[in-house]
Amino acid sequence: MSVAPVEIERTESESAPVAVREPDLPWVTIVHNDPVNQMNYVVYVFQSYFGYPKDKARKLMLDVHHKGRATVSIGTREEMERDVQAMHGYGLWATLRHDK
Amino acid sequence: MSGPFKPTHQGGAALTLDSVEASILRSLTVQLLELIGPGDEPAADADPLAGLFTEGPSKAPQDPAIARLFPDAYSEGPEAAEYSSEFRRFTENDMRTRKRENCLALVRSLDRAPVGRQGDVELELDADGCRSWLGALNDLRLTLGTRLEITDDDGEELYQLPDDDPRKPQTMAYLWLGWLEESLLEVLMDD
Repeated sequence: MSVAPVEIERTESESAPVAVREPDLPWVTIVHNDPVNQMNYVVYVFQSYFGYPKDKARKLMLDVHHKGRATVSIGTREEMERDVQAMHGYGLWATLRHDK
Repeated sequence: MSGPFKPTHQGGAALTLDSVEASILRSLTVQLLELIGPGDEPAADADPLAGLFTEGPSKAPQDPAIARLFPDAYSEGPEAAEYSSEFRRFTENDMRTRKRENCLALVRSLDRAPVGRQGDVELELDADGCRSWLGALNDLRLTLGTRLEITDDDGEELYQLPDDDPRKPQTMAYLWLGWLEESLLEVLMDD
């Protein structure tokens, strides 16, 4: 980010706020239910990869199991691609999408 | 802990397999290694830097078991196929390498473990070894589960297949791997 000259900066701060650029958010990582992965394994993955506490990891696992899918993380598209790749590495069925 | 894995003082896990179990696990893992294959990577004697610039495949694998290991990353919207194929090109080779490393670590630990008097294989895994085993065991379950076309409705009946059912040997292996994985998780998740 470049530094604006002082006088311009001041002018800007006095005027009404202009539209703020939409941040590249939110994209979401979704984990889908599958018939093979065991419940404890899914909890383990959510705890060890995302660092979620056991209760949250368990709740997300139950959402996946009962509702067929759960949103497990939110962020930029780049971050979500990283999370999806990690989930695939663990063998979970995951996709990302723009959360419009 | 009632399962086959026992925690060690070094933060790892110990496991004793009889010679038949060890040989089944080794052979399943070698089959998985062959299935995962080297992907589209260059040969070992090629320029080592070339691998860094080699793109992965852009199409989903034909084999359903492999497709399960490397699923599409995008499933919604008109651009899903295009985005998935792009994602695949930049990630699949790396993913194949990592899955292969887990399998190789499992095979190596089986081959190096001391053998007891009855032919038992006495394994002691460190924390990294546990993680490699967990990854490999889970990938084995995924591939067997896909081959067996396991669904959410398959419960108790998997345990009650008649002996002459052609799915019986693979089903037994699938259930056994699940039991091993549960036990390893119990050690890893013990607070």
